[in-house]
Amino acid sequence: MTCKKEFIQLMHHYLDGDLNKEEEQQLRTHLQSCKECQNHFQELKRTITLLESNSHLQPSPNFTNKVINSLPKEKKRISYLR
Amino acid sequence: METKIKEKIKLVKKGDQSAFEEIVAFHQSKVYQICYRLIGNTHEAEDLAQEAFIRAYVNIHSYDDNRKFSTWLYRIATNLTIDRIRKKKPDYYLDAEVQGTDGLNMYSQLPADQVQPEEEVESLEIQTYIQNEIMALPTKYRSVIALRFVDELSLAEISDILNIPIGTVKTRIHRGREALRKRLRHV
Repeated sequence: MTCKKEFIQLMHHYLDGDLNKEEEQQLRTHLQSCKECQNHFQELKRTITLLESNSHLQPSPNFTNKVINSLPKEKKRISYLR
Repeated sequence: METKIKEKIKLVKKGDQSAFEEIVAFHQSKVYQICYRLIGNTHEAEDLAQEAFIRAYVNIHSYDDNRKFSTWLYRIATNLTIDRIRKKKPDYYLDAEVQGTDGLNMYSQLPADQVQPEEEVESLEIQTYIQNEIMALPTKYRSVIALRFVDELSLAEISDILNIPIGTVKTRIHRGREALRKRLRHV
């Protein structure tokens, strides 16, 4: 596939939001006619969806408390009382 | 929200420790997720996230109010985690993968006292699989992938956090994305 490398580059630039209107149209037109690139592009988009599914990753419920309890103590005010 | 966070930071800088609580609560998920994507272990990720917040607190006076707080915080978390990876000795955790068992972890060797719903197991399996594939990437790719896909950070922010040129960020994202495409196409 001689077309592939160039268009794969375009796909990545597209996914980075780096394409201008003209390049985007070029990619779109190509994807309509090339099954293989279309497939590649779908796989990339799916990969991104999988990577973005982070919501199940959460620290333990008492995380904030643990952090606050581990902070160095506030500087004690000098007490003049004895 | 960024304005509200900045107000809180002003209070922290004045010595108000309780103002830090809201800052932690607001950022904890993202910081934890970045650490986890990089280190691949829940205990270590939590430990690193905690350490990142403590460092942020201790060094709050070196935070420049004109910049985005999350960028500064993520840099601390990322550096700590990368540092840990470098120093890492083989360690065994309950949820570390058991060698040669293809994704099984120590939990699966413990008697199951409770049956999980099927879809939960399935999605957990998929998620474990995804993380394993991320872990197969070199750290420099993992770090851009973690930052890009955890908080949808801009390429410029990632470049700032990792202190590498934006062109390098792009190349690493492209390569990382391609590598994961190949590994994840059958999921």
